[in-house]
This record gives sequence, structure tokens and C-alpha cells, in this order.
Amino acid sequence: MSRPALVLSDVSAAYGREPVLEGVTGRIEPGGSLALIGPNGAGKSTLIKAILGLVPLPSGSIEVLGQAPARARSQVAYVPQAEALDRNFPVSALQVVLMGRYRRVGWLRRPGAADKAAARAALDRVGLADRGDTRFGTLSGGQRQRVLMARAIAQEARLLLLDEPFNGVDTTSTDLLLDVLDALRNDGVAVVMATHDLSIAHLACGDACLINHHQVAFGPIDEALTAERLQQTYGARAVVLAGGSTIVTA
Amino acid sequence: MSGLWRVLVDPFSVPFMGRALVEVVLLGALGAVLGVHLLLRRKAFVTEALQHTVFPGVAVAFVAGQSLLGGALLAALASVVLLHLLTRNDRVDTDSALALLIAGFFALGVVVVSRSHSFQSSLTALLFGRVLAVDTRQVVETAVLVAVGLVVLLALHKELVLRAFDPAASAAVGYPVGRLDLVLDVVVALAVVAAVRAVGTVLLVAFLVTPAAAGRLCCRRIPSMMATAAVLTAVCGWLGLAASYTASVDHGIRLAAGAMVVMTITVGFLVVATVMAVRQRLARPVPVP
Repeated sequence: MSRPALVLSDVSAAYGREPVLEGVTGRIEPGGSLALIGPNGAGKSTLIKAILGLVPLPSGSIEVLGQAPARARSQVAYVPQAEALDRNFPVSALQVVLMGRYRRVGWLRRPGAADKAAARAALDRVGLADRGDTRFGTLSGGQRQRVLMARAIAQEARLLLLDEPFNGVDTTSTDLLLDVLDALRNDGVAVVMATHDLSIAHLACGDACLINHHQVAFGPIDEALTAERLQQTYGARAVVLAGGSTIVTA
Repeated sequence: MSGLWRVLVDPFSVPFMGRALVEVVLLGALGAVLGVHLLLRRKAFVTEALQHTVFPGVAVAFVAGQSLLGGALLAALASVVLLHLLTRNDRVDTDSALALLIAGFFALGVVVVSRSHSFQSSLTALLFGRVLAVDTRQVVETAVLVAVGLVVLLALHKELVLRAFDPAASAAVGYPVGRLDLVLDVVVALAVVAAVRAVGTVLLVAFLVTPAAAGRLCCRRIPSMMATAAVLTAVCGWLGLAASYTASVDHGIRLAAGAMVVMTITVGFLVVATVMAVRQRLARPVPVP
């Protein structure tokens, strides 16, 4: 049995001096996938930052691929929302993917032929092999999100952290991204995804962690996302429909 | 042709004109590379702040009879470090920290100046520069500062670009984002210090911001932006210096050389902006295949 991709042990996290999150406990195996679900400001992004070792932990501990978070960063890829990036920034799609190789390339050196080949292969995996020279900002929202996924692939990470990766993404790109995530998981890559989209969470993830400043549930997604727990997390915004399924209103 | 040669080339056989041109080309090279980084980071305002915070350093050095360059360098580095210490605290935003530093440093400079009687002419030189009075030693000092700045920026090129494009991912893969920011600001301090004697604190922004903005308008790739910006400053510096020399020597009209260079760079930017606007307009009706 290989070591777990992520172990969270009674994690509390603070943003500045304000405690944001407490009592998160759970684990993900290689090839596993976790949906982080909770309202805005519930601590999803803080938990992702904690897994990256970028915020202090007042108590509890996090182990990433058997190491402390700050030591595992080269094996962890962070995929931001494409919307968060400046569309006027003068870089091509291929250059963005190459950024995933920078830590491998090292300080003072430029990416070599092998890095460029890895970047092209990654672009090919997200179906954008022919768009390498296109300026990143001129691609559609879904295509930009695929480029960012290609960057994570080029990084050859063992753990992917995705922050709302399907916001503003068209259905073609959503399907493609879901396929790519599936393929990566078959290769043993673990995935943590912050999302407020319950249907995407069901499609993409085997486990779910419900948080609203503290952990409401952590486990197999069908057991974790019960109507009762969603109401505990979202309050009146969680609505149980006639068929028995629960939705969260904006 | 010989008339054009006389206007554009002959002036630079005069030693001080030759030195002025070398000084402008050197400053233009650092200004271009650094300016594009600042533009990508949207932090041209840091330059504005530093041009004021070097003032007390120069004033203290002047009153104490020490090297003005050393004084400017110390004040610039001190303000950069203070800026970083202040903005480390989330509750103090960068704008407030800059405003606080500008006011504090400038006040210190004024207090020092008020103790001195012979400062008037030096103050003018500090504000507007004296590109024609640059001596060989100063050109060498500028060359050293420019070389240090360029080496640092080229060495950290890919890290600085990643940090500008995607700060979250940059921190996520373990780059020391705060220290990268500090390095960039230190290079700004070097550039401000290098440029202050030639073009003065008021005009040096033109070397950092205007050429980079022109490069950004007409190029798609970051290295070509930097190259374009450097060439623009060199060409406009050459034309501006030649024009001010010809006006003064041939026609008896005294034009401030540094300001002429900055004006020419600004005209160069407007020409690039106009050409690009016209090209875009012409390109629009072509049907997309």
C-alpha cells in the first residue's frame, strides 16, 4: 500500500490572527478525489492554502505525500480559476503550460527541449495542441481553464488542488476536464477540488468534505452530502426538492 | 544629406554630448527591461514613490559633503525595505505605506535642506538632472548600476514573469514571492539612483514607464517589448540630444537637454500608439477564415 496523498488531522487554520477553520480530519489515497464544499468564506480556500503550507496551523497537522506541506510543493499543483488571471498578460498558451516546468528547470536556467516537449504533450492531453502559440487571454474561459490544467499536468504533480475549476466553463470544456481528471486519477494522481457545484462534485469526486468554518462531514460523497448536512452547512440556502435531492440556492 | 549628418551625428563628436548619449542609452536599457516588469506588475507607482524618497538621502549627502550617489542609494534602499516591512502587515495597504513614506522622507529632506544655504542649484539639478554635465566617472557608475540591474532581471526573468502572471501559483510551487518583490523594488531603487543625476527625479519616470508602454502596445512577446523599449529610448535620446544641441549652438535657443530627451520619448510613444491604432483599424475588415 502506497502512502496516502493527503492526511488531515484535526486541522485548524488561521488567516492572519483570525481563526477561519477548525476540526478538519480525513485522508485521500493516491487516485482519490475530494470535493471541498461550503459557502463562500467557509474556509475552502484557506484549507487549500494550508495544504500548500502557505498559512500557519494553530493546531492539528497536515501530511502531503508523507511529508510536511512546505516540503511537498514540487509534487503539488495548484490550479486557480482562469477568471482570476489577467487576460491582457502577454503570454501564449504554451508559455503558461511551460510555467509548470519552472521548478524542475531550477533557478537561473531556461526551459529546455525536454520541458517544451512535456508542455506540448500536456496541451495535447487537454485537446489544445494546435493553440500553443495563441495568446492565453484570447482563448475562451473553458480553454483557459484547460491550459491551466495542462500546466498542472506538465508539472507532473501527484496531488492537484483545484479552486472552483468549472466556474464559467462551457460544457465541452467541462466534459474534457472531467475526462482528463479521470485519466489522471487512474495514473494515481489525487485531486482536491473546491467547488460550490454539487452536480460537478458528484461527477468528479468520490469523497466530499463539507465545511463551514468547521467540518460538517468528511467521507464518501453520497454519505457526506445528505440533505440534513447540506442544511447544516448552508442553512436555509439548502433546499430539498420533491424528488429527494438537495440543491443549494445562490 | 550632409546637413542631416551635421545635425544628427556631428554634435556627438563633442565629448560631453557623447557621454550624454551613452548615459541615455544605458539608462534606456535598464529602464526598458525593468519598465516592462513594472508594467506587467502594474506597479509603475513604486517608481513615483522612490523618486521622492531618494531626496533626503541626496540632501543629507550634500550637506555632509559626501557622495550624492551614495546618499541616494542608501535612501532608496531604506525606503524599499521599509515599504516591505510596512506592507507585511495585512492591515497596512501598499498605497498608504507609500504615501506615508513619501511624506516622511520628503519632510526629512526639506528639514535638512533648510539648514543649508547653497542648496538651491543642487536642488534644481536633483529635480531636473544635468545630462550634459555627466562626467566619465558618472558614466562608469551608471554602467555598473545598469549592469547589476540587468543581470538580476535576466537571471530572475521566468520567476518574475510567473509571479506577475499568477501570484497564487507562484507561491504554491514554493517561490519566495515576498523576496522576489523586494528584489524587483531594489532594482527600481538602483534605476532611480542611476537616472537621478542625468534626468532628475521628476523626469526619470519617462525612462521607465513610457518606453515600456510603447513596447507593450506593439509587441506580443515580453522580450520583444523590452527590446523595443530600449531601442525607442536610444533613438529618441539621440534625436532629443541632437535637437537640443542644434537649437542651442546653431540658433541660440537654449533647450534643457534632459527634458528634450523625455519629450522626444513621449513623442515616440505617441507615434507608436498612433501607428498601432491605424494598423488595428486597417486590419479590422479582413474576414476571419
